[in-house]
Amino acid sequence: MTAPDLPLTEEQRVRSARRAALRAGGIIVVSYIPFGIAAGAAMGATSVDPLVSILSSPIIFAGAAQIAAVQLLHIGAALGIVVLTVAVINARHLLYSAALAPHLAEWTLGQRMGAAFLLADPVYALAAARFDVPDGGGGDREKRAFYVTAGLTCLVGWTSLLAIGIVVGGFIPAWVPFELAIPLTFLLLTLPLIRNRAGLVAAAVAGIVALVADPLPLGIGLMVGAVVGVAAGVVVLNLAERGARAVDA
Amino acid sequence: MLELVAIILGGVVTFVTRALFLVSKKLRPPKRVERYLPLVGPAVLGAIAVPGILAPRGEISLVDTIPAVIAAIVAWLVWGLTKQTALGLLAGLGLWWGILGVLAALAVPR
Repeated sequence: MTAPDLPLTEEQRVRSARRAALRAGGIIVVSYIPFGIAAGAAMGATSVDPLVSILSSPIIFAGAAQIAAVQLLHIGAALGIVVLTVAVINARHLLYSAALAPHLAEWTLGQRMGAAFLLADPVYALAAARFDVPDGGGGDREKRAFYVTAGLTCLVGWTSLLAIGIVVGGFIPAWVPFELAIPLTFLLLTLPLIRNRAGLVAAAVAGIVALVADPLPLGIGLMVGAVVGVAAGVVVLNLAERGARAVDA
Repeated sequence: MLELVAIILGGVVTFVTRALFLVSKKLRPPKRVERYLPLVGPAVLGAIAVPGILAPRGEISLVDTIPAVIAAIVAWLVWGLTKQTALGLLAGLGLWWGILGVLAALAVPR
C-alpha cells in the first residue's frame, strides 16, 4: 500500500472537516458582505442603542428577524409584538430542527443544544449537504467539528459585518447593485440538497408560492411557500415510488 | 434596557424553534415522516432564493427579472461543472453586473 492509500486517522478526518467548514462558512460570510453591512447601516440609522443592535446577532442569529426586531423597537412597538414577530419570522427553523434531529441523534443533550443555537439558514444548508449522504458525513466527532466550525464562522462573520455596517453606516454607495447576492447564495446552497426530482419540485414550488405569498405580513409567505413546497415534493416522491413498485410487480 | 429584554426574548423564542426537535430523543418526527425530511432543505432555501431571483427588487419586471434569471442559470451551470459555490457566485454576480452595465450603457431605465 502506498502512502496516499493509507486511511486517514480520526484526527486527520476531524481536521479536514474543520477546514472544509471554515472554507464553506467563509464563502457564505463573503457573500453576505453587502447585505450584512447594509443591514447594519439600516440598524445604525434607528434610535435603538447600537450595542443592542450588535448584540441581536449573537442572541438571535437570524438576519431578517434581527432587522425586523430592531425596526419595531425603533417605532416603539410593544415588547410582545417584537417577540411574536421574531417567532413568526423564525418559525421555519422548526423544520430545520426536525430535519436535523436524525443526524444529531447520538450527540449529548448539551451538544444538541449548542447545535440548536447555531442553526441559522446557511448553517442548516451546509450541515444538510454534508450529513444527507450515505455515510452520514462521517463519525460523530467529524460531524461535530464540521457543524461547530461552520456555525461559529457564520456567527462571527455575520456579527462582524453587522457591527461594521452599524459603525460605518452607508458605506456602500446606493448605486452599487447587490440585491442578487443573497438570492444567488441561497440558490447555490439549495443545489447540493436537490438529490432527486422530488427535491427539485419542492424547491421550485416553494419558491414560486413564496413569491406569490410575499404580500402576507411578517414574512409568512416564506413559511407558506416552504410548507407547500414540501407537500409538492412528498406527492412527487410518493408517485415515483408507486411507479417503481408497479414496474417491480 | 427594555430593548435588550426584547432582543433576549426574541433570542429565546428563536432558540425554542431551533431546539424543539433536538431537545428530547423522544420528541422526534414520526418514522413515516422522516423519509420526507430531506425535502425541507430544498423547500425552505428555495422559498428564500427563488423570489429574490424572479423579483430582485420586490416585483417581477423584464428589466430586473431576465438579467437575474440569466445570472442564476449561469451560476447553476458553473456550480454544476465545478461543484464550487464561490465560483458559481462569482460567475452569476459578475454576469449580472455585466448585463446591468450594458443596460445602463443603452440607457434602459431600471
